[in-house]
Order: sequence, then structure tokens, then C-alpha cells
Amino acid sequence: MSSLEQADEGRRTPALAPRRAAMPGWPLLGRAIARRVDVLGLLGIVLFIVLWQLLTYVIPRFSLPTPRDVAQRVAEDFVLADYLVAYGLPATGLFDSMLYTTTNVLIAVAIGGAVGTVFGLITARFELARAILDPVTMTAGTVPILVLAPFFLIWFGIGRVSSVLLVVIYVAVILYIYAQRAADNLDPVYEDAAYTLGASPRRAVWDVLIPGTVPQILGGIRIALAGAWGLEAIAELLGSQHGIGKIVQVLAGSTDILGIFAALLVLGVVAVLFDALAALLFSRLAAWSVAARTSGE
Amino acid sequence: MQKDVIVATEISREFHRADRQLVQALARVSFAVERGQFVCIVGPSGCGKSTLLQLIAGLLLPSGGTMAVNGAPVTGPGSDRGMVFQKDSVFPWLRVIRNVEYGLKCRGVDKAERQRIASLYLERVGLSHVAWAWPRELSGGMLKRVAVATVFANGADVLLLDEPFGAVDYVTKRLLHDVLLTLWSEAESGARRTVVFVTHDVDEALILADRILVMNGGRLVDDLAVEAPRPRTTDSLLKAEMVRHKHVLLTHLGLETRAPAAAGPALRVAP
Repeated sequence: MSSLEQADEGRRTPALAPRRAAMPGWPLLGRAIARRVDVLGLLGIVLFIVLWQLLTYVIPRFSLPTPRDVAQRVAEDFVLADYLVAYGLPATGLFDSMLYTTTNVLIAVAIGGAVGTVFGLITARFELARAILDPVTMTAGTVPILVLAPFFLIWFGIGRVSSVLLVVIYVAVILYIYAQRAADNLDPVYEDAAYTLGASPRRAVWDVLIPGTVPQILGGIRIALAGAWGLEAIAELLGSQHGIGKIVQVLAGSTDILGIFAALLVLGVVAVLFDALAALLFSRLAAWSVAARTSGE
Repeated sequence: MQKDVIVATEISREFHRADRQLVQALARVSFAVERGQFVCIVGPSGCGKSTLLQLIAGLLLPSGGTMAVNGAPVTGPGSDRGMVFQKDSVFPWLRVIRNVEYGLKCRGVDKAERQRIASLYLERVGLSHVAWAWPRELSGGMLKRVAVATVFANGADVLLLDEPFGAVDYVTKRLLHDVLLTLWSEAESGARRTVVFVTHDVDEALILADRILVMNGGRLVDDLAVEAPRPRTTDSLLKAEMVRHKHVLLTHLGLETRAPAAAGPALRVAP
């Protein structure tokens, strides 16, 4: 036994100790956030704004407003955008509209993510289910979601249900593929090991299949979330009385470029914030995986 | 208590390859393993030794014949037969100690007790200092020790090891042999556990085994008793009996042409 300890001695100090120290824990959450919004990230944002400002000297002001004007417009329209009332819409602002859009996106990602993951995992383990579901899902994946929009508006009317359902389909197809591939790639040795240790099939699912596929599933959720914002906005643009997409549609009618920029800026900032939040949350949920480690350091 | 723990009777196993060709992995293999015996199965790659182990584990079922463990036919995997796999099977999503506890958790052992048992076995394989590490932070040899500790902690009385140390360096392999033999010889309940160890390494088999089963082409072709005293050292391998066994094994593996008969009578188990 002592010779074993000695054999490890060499590796323990250099390899293990520093890595252990870098292991993030909840108390280090603040540090993790600080690390994410690092100097280089801020530099990129500054560079983007400078470039935008420079372009405004070349491109006419009515096509490309300056960053400062857009920021000012966001501030003005944030709580109450008076032009909406002129178009016969309820009196809201960018904040309320974005809240509506955000709620829809989160509902859709939750429902679509759950449905897609469950069916992706089932089809990865049951050949029959896979044979039946794969063609349907893959076909649904190839139909442009926007082509479905008119049907949804006819079937479910103008409102929350239509736009959420569109995003649900999109998210579910992505997660179906991600979860299925993750389960396919999970080495069967883990499930075999669980069974030889006395695990029931139920335990094999909860203790092996799900944790073993979580990193890839969470990666799929992030991809789906990123796409969901745009899709929800477009769905609102096509038929809705609320949301950031509706605002863009109204302003496009009156070629209010500055207003559109303000709305898009809010949408973009919220999408980026949620992505950062998801990345942080997911790196906690899959702290064991190598991917989580490299992105956390 | 029955003398024989594992009884294989006329076991056959066929596979359909991707090109739809039928492959006979095992052909009418019969043998019995006594309680407490350390058996090594040796044979060239593709001889069916891993398949045989998976049949004992219940991860595969035979196409013909019967496999019985502790008097009951094998119908699937169970915690009475622990297995150490060739590949790394330590769950990367559980910390080391949680891995060692896993089998006990499945059997409903309460938290404090399973943590006590897991700590004990981690200490015995010399890994107490990494109990709370993630498996990815461990070397290949350390992961093998975690796998061995997990299987021993689970208390199975039949242990199946499928070329467990094949990918481990020479020094670590020798240390792991000591760990394995120590755990095997000091069983908690008094009775030694039964071990079936698959390997292609002749020296490994001679160091570890009470008995060596030789396989070739899906058949059992020899059954050697290794009676050298333990602990076995480098010198043990130089004793006349061991050298004789080694010649027999190397001949079976096709590395020597000397007829096994010249080195001692070889028992033909299957036709």
C-alpha cells in the first residue's frame, strides 16, 4: 500500500493540487462572473461601438443612427413608447414588450427542450421508437419554421399560443437530435457497469443515461435558446399584438430606423445576458465534464 | 455451501456480424469454478474469453447451454457478480468516493454506512487522498484502482475482471496485482471471493492464478493448476513448474512450437 502512495506522490503535488484549487464552487460564483466578463470581452464591445460610430460618418444618418442616438431612444421608449398608442396598440414600452418576448422564449425553450430531450433519449435506446419517430422529426426539422407560421396563425389565432408553438417545434427538433446523439455516444460500458453493480433499469436511466448526456443536452439548449429569440421575434412580427417583434413591425411600417435599432438593441442585450446566464448555470450542472472545466478556466 | 460457484455447461454463443455472417464466438464450453479460486482465462485475441466473461456477468446470454452462478441460472447482470471492465467504467460525473459507493447505494445501504465502506476500500487501494476528486483528475492506473475498489466495496462474491490492467504501465500493473491479491486474500466474511480474470499476458496469469483456463477459437483447450505458493515473486516465475506452465501457455498461444505433451500432460477439455 505504501509503495502505491509513493507512486502517486510524484503526480499528486504538481498535477492534482493546483487543479483542485481551480475547481469552482458556489462561493466562487462571483469570481466566475468576473472571469466571464473579462478584459478582452469588454475590449470587443468597445471595438464594436467604435466601428459603428465610424460607419455613421460614411453611411447616411437615416440609414444608420449613431450608438448614442440609439441609446437615448432606448431610454426614452423603455417604460412607455408613445407611438404605439398612435397605432392603436396598448400603451407599453420596450421593457414590457421585451418581458412578453422573454416569457414566450423561456416557456418555449422549457417545453420544447423537455419534449425533445425525452424523445431523443427514448429513441436512442429503443430501436422501434427510433424507426417510427426519426423520419417524422427529421422532416419537421427540414420544414422552414416560418412556412408553418401562417398555418399556426389560422389554427391557433393571433397571440401567445401560435408564436410559442413555433418556437417549441424548433427547440424540440434541435434537442431531439442533440439528446439522441449524446445517448448514442455514451459508452455502453457505463450502463453495463451500473447493471453489474446492481442498478435497476430505472436507476440506469437516472444515474447514468441522464448525467452522462447532460453536457451535450445543455449545449443543445444553448444553441436552441440563441435561435429562439430571433424566431420568437419573427413570429410576433407576423402575427401578434405584443412583443418586441410587434414593435419592430409597427416601426418598419413608418420607416423609423432609430426605433427599430433601439428595439433590436434591447433584444440583443437580453439574448446575450441569458446566454451568459445559461453558460454559467450549465457549467455548474456539468462541473465534472472536461468541457465545463476548460470554459471555466 | 456448494463447492462450485460458477458452472458452465456446454455454453455456445453466436454473433451476427454486420455483414450478416454468423460468427461462433464460443463452442460448447464447459467448466466449473470452485469457491475462492482465482482463475485466469488466457488465450489469443478473438478466442472468446471476453465473451465468456460477459456470459458469466449476464451482460450476454448464451445461444446454447447453461451458465449457473451459485446454483441459479444467469438471466442478467446482478450485484452478486462484480465486474471490472477493460475500458474505464468509473462514472466521470460522480466524485471518486461516490463511484465507490454506487453499488451500495443501489442496494439501499444508508448514507453513513456506505461512505464508511467506500472510504475503507479507497484506503485499501491507496486512494484516500483523492476521495473527493473528479475521475478526470486521476491517471489511468488510479482509475483502475477506483474500479477495483468499487467492485470489492459492493461485496460481490464473484469478481470478473476483463483484461483490467491491459492498458496500464508495467510498474503500475505490478502494484495493482498486489492490491488485487491483498483484497482477494483478506475477504471480510472469512471466505475468499471467487475471481475470474481474463488476460492475454502469460506472466500476469502465472503470478495471479490458482488455475489457468486456456482458450482458443471459441473452445477451452487446456486447464492448468498453478500450485506455486504465495506471495509469488520474480523468483517464483523461474521455478521449474512455472517455466513448464509458461511453455505450455506459449505453445497454446502459437509462440512456441514445442508440443505441449513434452512439457507435461495437457488436459483436453473440449473436442
